[in-house]
Amino acid sequence: MKLFRLLLMMITVAATAQAKVHVVTTLTDLADFTREIGGELVEVRSLATGVEDTHGVPMKPSFVPVMNRADLLILVGFDCEHAFLPALLEASKNPRIQNGKAGYVDCSKGVAPVDVPKSTDHSEGDVHPYGNPHYMLDPVLAKTAIQNIYQALVTIAPEHQAEFTRNRDAYLAKLDAKIAGWQIALQLLKGAKFVSYHEHWPYFAERFGLKYFGTIELKPGIDPTARHVEELIAGMKAEHVPLVVREPQFPEKVPALIAKQAGAQLVKLPIMPGGVPGTDTYIEMMDYIVRTLVATVGK
Amino acid sequence: MNRRICLIVMVATFAITLRGWAEIDPLDALKQQLQQLQQQMQLLQQKVQELEAAKTNVVPVTAGTVSPAQLKEVDEKIDKVVEAQKKTLMSEFNPAIGLVGETLFSYRSGNQIATGSSRPGGFDVFQRSVELNAVAAVDPFAKAYVVANASADAATGVATLGIEEAALQTTSLPWNLELKAGRFFGEFGRLAYIHDHELPFVNRPVALDQYIGGESRSDGLQVNWLVPVEHYISFTAGVGDQFGADSPNPNNPGSFRSFDGFNFWSRLSTDFDLKPDWQTEMGISGLWNPHTVDRGGAIVQPDGSTFTERERRLGGVDFALKYVPLRDNQFRSVTWGTEVLFSDNRYLENPVGGGPAFDRTVGALGLYSYLNWKFHRQWSAGFLFDYVENAQDEHALTYAYSPYITWALSHWNQLRLQYTHTDHNAESGLKPDDAVYLQWAWIIGAHAHGWQQR
Repeated sequence: MKLFRLLLMMITVAATAQAKVHVVTTLTDLADFTREIGGELVEVRSLATGVEDTHGVPMKPSFVPVMNRADLLILVGFDCEHAFLPALLEASKNPRIQNGKAGYVDCSKGVAPVDVPKSTDHSEGDVHPYGNPHYMLDPVLAKTAIQNIYQALVTIAPEHQAEFTRNRDAYLAKLDAKIAGWQIALQLLKGAKFVSYHEHWPYFAERFGLKYFGTIELKPGIDPTARHVEELIAGMKAEHVPLVVREPQFPEKVPALIAKQAGAQLVKLPIMPGGVPGTDTYIEMMDYIVRTLVATVGK
Repeated sequence: MNRRICLIVMVATFAITLRGWAEIDPLDALKQQLQQLQQQMQLLQQKVQELEAAKTNVVPVTAGTVSPAQLKEVDEKIDKVVEAQKKTLMSEFNPAIGLVGETLFSYRSGNQIATGSSRPGGFDVFQRSVELNAVAAVDPFAKAYVVANASADAATGVATLGIEEAALQTTSLPWNLELKAGRFFGEFGRLAYIHDHELPFVNRPVALDQYIGGESRSDGLQVNWLVPVEHYISFTAGVGDQFGADSPNPNNPGSFRSFDGFNFWSRLSTDFDLKPDWQTEMGISGLWNPHTVDRGGAIVQPDGSTFTERERRLGGVDFALKYVPLRDNQFRSVTWGTEVLFSDNRYLENPVGGGPAFDRTVGALGLYSYLNWKFHRQWSAGFLFDYVENAQDEHALTYAYSPYITWALSHWNQLRLQYTHTDHNAESGLKPDDAVYLQWAWIIGAHAHGWQQR
């Protein structure tokens, strides 16, 4: 009898595990959204932990079996993951999540890109042919990603649509309230100019009314030259640029030097959840970004 | 009269105003102001939302607010953007094409005879690669790729175009299988199937050059199986007419080749994440050609005897320990890679003086080990150690020591300076020599690192 119960329990556990939708996301913000919408019905694994550069997640062989079993692969798109995802996808040997299949969920669908290059030439650095891929730092555009994730979950598990819809709506309501708060808080910074290491922030700047002055990188993916740093500092001084943003993936030395010489404040801002301690969710991350900016520039 | 009336009105107005001020409670005034501000804020928020919707062409996603007509409208607008982008991509159905160039400037203290190299001693400039890569999906079931390389002949300087790889690879086989057919670099060991310009140092390790014959090129068929377990285990097996691109030993099949005239190879590899920043990868490989007719012809030994290969057997174990910090791996990392090979070929030996030929098996060990340290986005440095016993005479030894430093101006433009001291023992018949290399490699067009180059 005991054996029978044990067997029954094992079958139940196995059946429950089977029923879950296995999702792999490239970045942690997408994992957070998927957990919010999918709840207990999804098993989510993010390739990035949050501290990585969005273009530089190491290709670990341990990712391959996880991707091999995935029902859905959720990615940022706009070629954001070009450096690591194509090779991992090929190695995964999972036809369900290959580009063009239902399990390949490109969250950029519906997002109008900015900075679309006129030509894809490496003289402009490591350009993204489809435009700047860092739209997730705009919480309003992040809602488009949320909707894409929701659609993918509904497509793969239509029997759970009601729960997915309920979860999505609850999360969007929470996010909308937060967005309103972030809008108000960042009114103080409207028109403030800033530089960042990599071009992570054009969507964020446009949303909240900040002005991108330039990047520390010479071009995307290309380290700054001495002349570029000099020109950047001179320009920042002339234009009274008050802020230098350093993403945690990049070394502090050059941003600190630029901030010091230009008389600007240096802030470290995460680009995805988990980038700095206490930012495990998307909302926590955006809270952190807004709080840090207001505390730094608004004082 | 009028003046008086005006004065009375002004005085009365002033008095009323003063009285009004006196009557308004400061708290009420603040409340009124707050209410007004809140109203203004609500209006502003409403306006912001309207602008957002108009700017992004995305209707705020809330349940029940998105009608099918609105979705259709958004889809149409996006399609127009996509179509507009496509107009700049006139070659969209063409393969992704890239070109790699690699020039070697070098100085070697020993001459060609002393070093056994195909390049002259002294000063040399060698355009080692002009490599054209093209890759595209064939259909929903397969992709194909071609790597054509033109390198200059050391004696004539004439560049000859050769096909390094041209293979079809399946993309949607069931049961975690992948099939590759054509000319390709067979999966053996750690670096044998990496192109020259992708190596972490200038030259291919001596053991790979001697035992495999440079890159592990073969015309054949290879199947890879990702073992369906939670841990990464990959198994590869292949069959081909030769194995090794650069050695002067393409298989001579004779006038009729039996099945055992083919090369058979396999590899089993796995990895472990020791910590989030630390990984180890390991593999075991084997190559067997049961019946080689005349691979490379009769090889004259220093003592005058000749060896003709009759059976080729090669085994290998490889290991890599990697420190790849999650946060800033573009700026620093460490890789220690080692591969040990054991060649156990059987030869037909024709002894000096013309006695009867006899079978002889030579067991020779070769290894290389390197440490590569990336300490800056653009800079890395390393050290390569080579040890190899001659595949025909295990007593003939070669050692090489190669410190090197790499400056990657960008991902597509890289300079590497390497010093190599090569030492041999007396049995080898070769002399020690010193060499300095300056390698300049560049890439234009499409270039993607595959799984094997991780």
